Amino acid sequence: MSWLIWRQHRKQLLVTLVGLVALAAIMVPSGLAIHRAAAELGLPDCIRQANAAATNPHMICESALERFSEQHVSGAFFGVLLFVFAPLLIGLFWGAPLVAREVEQGTHRLVWTQGVSRQRWALAKIAFVGVVALVISAVYGLGLSWWMAPLNLTGSRFGYVSFDMQGVVPIGYTLFAVALGVFAGTFLHRVLPAMALTLGGFIAVRVAIAALARPRYMTAQARTYQGSLPNEGSAEGEPSVIPTPSPSSGQAREVGDWMLAREFRDANGMGNDNFPDDYAYTWEIFQPASRFWPFQVIETGVFVALALLLFALALRRLRRIA
Amino acid sequence: MDMALETEGLGKRYGQRWALRDCSLRLPAGRVAALVGPNGAGKTTLLHLAVGLLPPDAGEVRVFGASPYANTSILPDIGFVAQETPLYRDFTAAELVTMGGRLNRRWDAALARERLASLGIPPNKPVGKLSGGQRAQVALALCVAKRPRLLLLDEPVASLDPLARREFLQTLMVSVADTGTTVLFSSHIVADLERACDYLVVLHSARVALTGDVEDLVATHRQLVGPRHDGGPIRGVGQVVRARHTDRQTTLLVRMDGDLGDPLWTMHHVGLEDIVLAYMDDTSNDVTTAQSAWGVSA
Repeated sequence: MSWLIWRQHRKQLLVTLVGLVALAAIMVPSGLAIHRAAAELGLPDCIRQANAAATNPHMICESALERFSEQHVSGAFFGVLLFVFAPLLIGLFWGAPLVAREVEQGTHRLVWTQGVSRQRWALAKIAFVGVVALVISAVYGLGLSWWMAPLNLTGSRFGYVSFDMQGVVPIGYTLFAVALGVFAGTFLHRVLPAMALTLGGFIAVRVAIAALARPRYMTAQARTYQGSLPNEGSAEGEPSVIPTPSPSSGQAREVGDWMLAREFRDANGMGNDNFPDDYAYTWEIFQPASRFWPFQVIETGVFVALALLLFALALRRLRRIA
Repeated sequence: MDMALETEGLGKRYGQRWALRDCSLRLPAGRVAALVGPNGAGKTTLLHLAVGLLPPDAGEVRVFGASPYANTSILPDIGFVAQETPLYRDFTAAELVTMGGRLNRRWDAALARERLASLGIPPNKPVGKLSGGQRAQVALALCVAKRPRLLLLDEPVASLDPLARREFLQTLMVSVADTGTTVLFSSHIVADLERACDYLVVLHSARVALTGDVEDLVATHRQLVGPRHDGGPIRGVGQVVRARHTDRQTTLLVRMDGDLGDPLWTMHHVGLEDIVLAYMDDTSNDVTTAQSAWGVSA
């Protein structure tokens, strides 16, 4: 089995590795540049001090943050955005053809009528693409965690692109994409439709879970604080409140918090999005920055479970293909 | 007698449609059998059931006494070449031989190499670049290298030109004659059968229309020509397979069960091809169905 798998996938493996090396050739130097720039601006120290003093870092590190953002943040995101699609690409090109190409070309009738059962054949293949997906996604997930470390200082790691690219979630997404591709192949029996189903299914599930399930993995926390009104001169139109250093209830603010909702309330506790005339305090619910890793683990678990389910369904469907 | 393949009331259904139904046949070991029938008669379904690619929906199928579906213990005894002889097209013939060695416990690589060499097939060229005839030979060589006791071939010669077809059947015959391998190969090309096989299974509309030893079939079938006949019994005739009438004359293809007792008929010998065609011919049924489907009166 291993000889056959190696012979069938060696070219694809080579192309994938060349792609990864090319990406590394771009990402490693640019990552080093970002780390250097952040250190030169004294950003990590400044933010550590701000957090220690329970101060909003945007107040005391403002100039450094601004200069850093100008130089790196916006440009970096476009480049890094590529990686959001990496799990999808692996699902499309490693997962979808796995069964679909065999059935499309009729070679499943060749390979399943040798001495090896189709279940063993499928398990060996799935194990192989599973390991490939695992290694690639672990390398790039942890690599991007390093790459984005300075950027994480300037904002929350819970942001949609930020959360989805670093840490361990890429492993879950990639395994899920591969499993979806394999399952689609056992269902549609042709490569292109299987790829189309993988594409649509992956995006739908990812968006649904990110938008609906992720904010609810753990009960959000609430806090209230007295804000001071911004200067009359800064007529941005947006009602905003500069928070006092310590909240009247709840945990102190951190740059890394995931803000879910905010209301400006009057003395009776009634509030809305608009800034009321009789403003009394600000209420907000959020996921604290410290929950980044628990959330990563939960989201990874959800996608790994979905992947295992799809692999099991694919093995079941395989029995009915002739 | 040892049975290579036995089916009993075997049936397979795709949705509402039965692809194979009430199929009961016994193929004795050591025979070279042809499985013939028009397209869609159920030949491929029968072969897929026999090699264990499909589970039956009714009845049972046994290969050397064992049920083949999801049964890896019987796989080494069955060699199978699927329709259109699928191979990994980017593999070379030499790599396919290596693959067979990796996937089978019993594997005669030397036999495969010898066969391919004697047929002049290049070892290091991707098989996708070989001709259809050469690809079929590669598929057959892979199959034979398993040293199977039953060889199942699904339309192995369908895509070949007449010369390649004859060559393929010849090499097949030679290789099985030495080893006593049982062969069942399907074909919708009826010519060449008489030379290639000694056993016959005719499928029609998902059912077995005829099965038996070729010599027996040829010995018992006759063509009778006589005056126009109304369909009454004729002494010595067991079954009228096909009847053709003109205004004054009737031509029958019949299966005899004794001596012909009616001097009005003249009797002719018929070849296997004519017998097969007679069993496959049911134009009268098709025409009636088609007439009602088209809304045309008879």
